[in-house]
Amino acid sequence: MAGKAKSLPGELRIEARPQPRALRLLTIVTIVGFAATLVLGLGLAGTDIQQGEIQRIFYIHMPSFFGAFTAFGLTVVGGLIYLARRSEKWDRIALAGVEVGLAFSLINLLTGAIWARPIWNTWWTWDPRLTSAAIMCLTYAAYLMLRAGIEDAGRRRAFMSVYGILAFVTVLITLFIIRIVPETIHPVIIGASPQSAQGSFEATSGVVMALIPSLLLWLILMPITIMWHRVRLEERMDALNGLKMQVLSE
Amino acid sequence: MKTAITVLTFALALLINGAALAEDPGAPYFQSRAFNVPILEGWDDQSGEGFAQFHLAEAQATIRTTTRTLSDPIAAAEAELALLTSLRVPPPTYSGKVNLADGTWHVLVYDLEEDTTASVMARIADDRVAVISFVERDRAARTAMLTLARSDESHEDAAREMILAADALSETMPSHLAQGKSAMLPSGEWAVYAGEGMTVMGLVFGNDSYVALRQGEQGDLAALAEAYNRTLLGFFITPDNSHYLALALAAVFVILGTLVGSLFWRERGLREELTVLEELARVDE
Repeated sequence: MAGKAKSLPGELRIEARPQPRALRLLTIVTIVGFAATLVLGLGLAGTDIQQGEIQRIFYIHMPSFFGAFTAFGLTVVGGLIYLARRSEKWDRIALAGVEVGLAFSLINLLTGAIWARPIWNTWWTWDPRLTSAAIMCLTYAAYLMLRAGIEDAGRRRAFMSVYGILAFVTVLITLFIIRIVPETIHPVIIGASPQSAQGSFEATSGVVMALIPSLLLWLILMPITIMWHRVRLEERMDALNGLKMQVLSE
Repeated sequence: MKTAITVLTFALALLINGAALAEDPGAPYFQSRAFNVPILEGWDDQSGEGFAQFHLAEAQATIRTTTRTLSDPIAAAEAELALLTSLRVPPPTYSGKVNLADGTWHVLVYDLEEDTTASVMARIADDRVAVISFVERDRAARTAMLTLARSDESHEDAAREMILAADALSETMPSHLAQGKSAMLPSGEWAVYAGEGMTVMGLVFGNDSYVALRQGEQGDLAALAEAYNRTLLGFFITPDNSHYLALALAAVFVILGTLVGSLFWRERGLREELTVLEELARVDE
């Protein structure tokens, strides 16, 4: 084992792989953008006179779903490319997409439930949109549990790539279900709400202008920034695991 | 760097634009922290801080909505009338209650001095009382507005409630009220009965009947009834649910904090493991 310290892979050394300048810049822009959209949605946007202050959560609730859409979409891309090229880099992107997408989905689900309490007078109802969103969250939570349970790395990556691609069906169902199943009380913002919708509000120019920056932030900046950090971490964790195996085998 | 500046400029432009447009009031409503009511078109808007007041000069009628920090709806109604008319307020000539979608309202009618009549709806709203007053100062007429629970839902019009209102408010009940041509107003089809110097209009809405009654010259009772009805049905209080917003924001920060925090924790764990491996390698050396 003599001289092993010198043979430690360079990618494990933080100072050897400094954060790319683009990632640092992206992180700053994301943090500033997050703060700015909070100021816009919670402070500058007018209060909805029908729903009260709780309507402001809409500026996070809807964009967080689209952020999850981006992240889960990148899981599909990562999975497809991994299956085609067997490059670990794409499997890491797929995994990062699931972690970030799941967190954003939980934000979407929880903020929706908290909004529903004063508006629908219930925390939860088995509405088609709510049910499909819950199934989506459970499907991706199962992804992480299954991934942790498969020992063989090659098998794990291939199996989870296929799972990640198929799981995206739940995202599409959640997205389109209120247009397919008319018996929903969930309001539709883009387009007319069904007659059964409860808690709808007009997407006035003010609402739209407060929503767009938040939508851009959650759709693009937040998932990409957090996923990039997560991919870098996974790279180093893989390298560390490789090193451990190397040390153990000697 | 150039792209980042472009994105930031675009975001800033949206922010400024959004801030300017977010206050778009939408529908013509009088909005205050305490309540909201529709603005009556064609009426002179005399609203001020904390109260909505609309006046129709040709009918010498005023509709005023406000809230008062009292716990008794009748006391609040009388205080409000005293302020609005500067007259002594006698006991009501009619007093009743009606359950509407937003709560139980007290329905009160007063005959004041100087040929002034007033109809008031008042209900408790949290720690205050919401009061909607209709005051008419026409010397040639006496006008009253009533909201009554329907006694028999099998009837298609408000005839029964109109007779009840006429009976309750008229000192000399007319022996005969003939059904006239119904009036089609924006709020719906109002039944009209008239006879012996009295005109009564009634609208069925859900489980209640809205009745407008006028003794003396008929004038434009339909316009008054429509305006009062629009105020009453359009009245609502913006709910105070800011604690739910705080809860939702807490959930957002907890989840995002856990996600970002987990990256840091795992990074730290990774470094610790790396240190252990380096130590092991050094020991072996």
